[in-house]
Amino acid sequence: MTNLEIGLTSFPLLLIMIFLRVPIGLAMFLAGLVGLYFINGGTNVAFAKLKTETYSTFSSYSLSIVPMFILMGHFATLGGMSQALFKAAESFLGHRRGGVAMAAVGACAGFGSICGSSLATAATMSQVALPELRRYGYSGGFSTATLAAGGTLGILIPPSVILVIYAILTEQNIAKLFLAAFIPGILAAVGYMITISIYVRLHPDSAGVREPQPMRERFRALADVWPVLIVFVAVVGGIYLGIFTPTEGAAVGAFGTGLIALINGGLTKSTLVESFIATARGTAMIFFIVLGAGFYNGFLAQSQVPQALSEWVVGLGLSPWVILSMILVLYLVFGCVMDSLSMILLTIPIFFPIISNLEFGMTSEEVAIWFGIIVLIVVEVGLITPPVGMNLFVINSMDRKTPMIETYKAVMYFVGSDIVRVVILVIFPSITLFLVRLLH
Amino acid sequence: MQQFMNKLARYMAIIGGAILTLLILLTCVSVLGRTLNTVFHSGFAQTVLGDFAQTILDTGVGPVLGDFELVEAGIAFAIFSFIPLCQITGGHASVDIFTSTFSVRVNRFIQMIVELLFAAVLILIAWRLYEGMNSKMRYQETTFLLQFPIWWAYAASLVAACVSALVSIYVAVIRVAEFFQNRTIIHIGGGAEH
Repeated sequence: MTNLEIGLTSFPLLLIMIFLRVPIGLAMFLAGLVGLYFINGGTNVAFAKLKTETYSTFSSYSLSIVPMFILMGHFATLGGMSQALFKAAESFLGHRRGGVAMAAVGACAGFGSICGSSLATAATMSQVALPELRRYGYSGGFSTATLAAGGTLGILIPPSVILVIYAILTEQNIAKLFLAAFIPGILAAVGYMITISIYVRLHPDSAGVREPQPMRERFRALADVWPVLIVFVAVVGGIYLGIFTPTEGAAVGAFGTGLIALINGGLTKSTLVESFIATARGTAMIFFIVLGAGFYNGFLAQSQVPQALSEWVVGLGLSPWVILSMILVLYLVFGCVMDSLSMILLTIPIFFPIISNLEFGMTSEEVAIWFGIIVLIVVEVGLITPPVGMNLFVINSMDRKTPMIETYKAVMYFVGSDIVRVVILVIFPSITLFLVRLLH
Repeated sequence: MQQFMNKLARYMAIIGGAILTLLILLTCVSVLGRTLNTVFHSGFAQTVLGDFAQTILDTGVGPVLGDFELVEAGIAFAIFSFIPLCQITGGHASVDIFTSTFSVRVNRFIQMIVELLFAAVLILIAWRLYEGMNSKMRYQETTFLLQFPIWWAYAASLVAACVSALVSIYVAVIRVAEFFQNRTIIHIGGGAEH
């Protein structure tokens, strides 16, 4: 077998392993190990690589953002900010039709600005918003679906763990990617609110009504969210203005949210230990996937598969837009069964060279940023698509009374909203690139 | 035994978390020091504060030397220390949409193979890390700014990597026993963040 054939054979084998419930990081690691063995006719190269590769992956300065952001997310949960955000959003929106659900989305967007993970956002906001939604007569499936969708804002609105990984994989500027994610993140929140107002008009009995709150109350509630604003501006602004590196920004953010949690009394010895435990689980999972993917991609690079595939696709002479659409559809399909991080790590080394070789009428950096944001959105759709949407599981485990099927039915409206947004962002790259172009 | 392994994994995770927190504080101190240093060096501070600005600068206010070298060494140890907990709680991301249709017995078999492979890989990683440490020691490589031997950082990580391997061997043994006795000994701690 030629190297190229070995590389290509590894795809189906890898997928079989993954579908047999081999953890994704382990599956990629094994595929890389076996692949390197066949390409080099022995274990020498693989073993030599391993002498330093694990350490250098785990000690990477840019990747150290990831555990810091994860810990920051847990501190943000302890800080009671979810409560304040929801109250503020609810006092402004609550009296509208479907207003409490809109408030939940708004609060998710706010929480997403200090939390880089979708699952954490969905879980944290559910604790606060689910009881309120039920209290005001919102139906079970509609409530859970709203929060599952709202949770995806956690990763879209910077800071975002997945964008950090994408930036490292494609050697792009993290600050610019964060900046580019901002408008699509706002669009997502607005899109979800529009979806909610359409949903309550189609299903009038799915939402109750409540009294508007006086203006003074509203602004009092709004005043309580200032710590969130400060942390967000400090982290994203500081990174953007070059006052500190993204890793330093993550450290400052984790410190800030930790301080808020300490002042609000949420951070005690036992909750600190629990945040360490949760951070450990999340971080180990991510880094094992990163390690496996790095090893597998090292093998793929040696087999020259990404290059060959990219040349082949470009040689097809298809319109770049058709190829981009095909890639995005593939992500949507895979998203139904796979988690977003694994998908990014597995596919970006293959798809990114293809996309960079296509002509979209933009600079290569702009294409990389734009593609990154769109991919981030389509893989996030996977978090809320049945049957294996992680956010759906998280929220369903918090609201056992609502049957999964009810959540599935309602969440399809939000998936629809996501797809409309992806189409808009694909057709008009300038929406994503607006802030980056404006400020550079 | 089970309690010992659970505690071991938990303590490792907590130690890792504590190191992570220290690195966060260190980085914040460094940022603060650098910011103050820049502020007092600025023309504005020099004119307004005069000698006072110089006095402050003379105390050595500035970024922590080689802070990112410490972050790199520390974070590697922290992440290695996080792995045992992920092993023992079954926290790794996997796709269980197809296997859920298989029988319990088949699933036990798959689980056994997976954990055996995992143990093998983690042993391999620890062993290669040990070799890596040896060569760093042999060539006496040091970090650029702080000039501390890189093998120190490798050694710290190696300790955690060995614990990871140990815990993964334990989990594998349990899964083998579960398959052959056809009963559940330890429940998997509920997949990735479920």
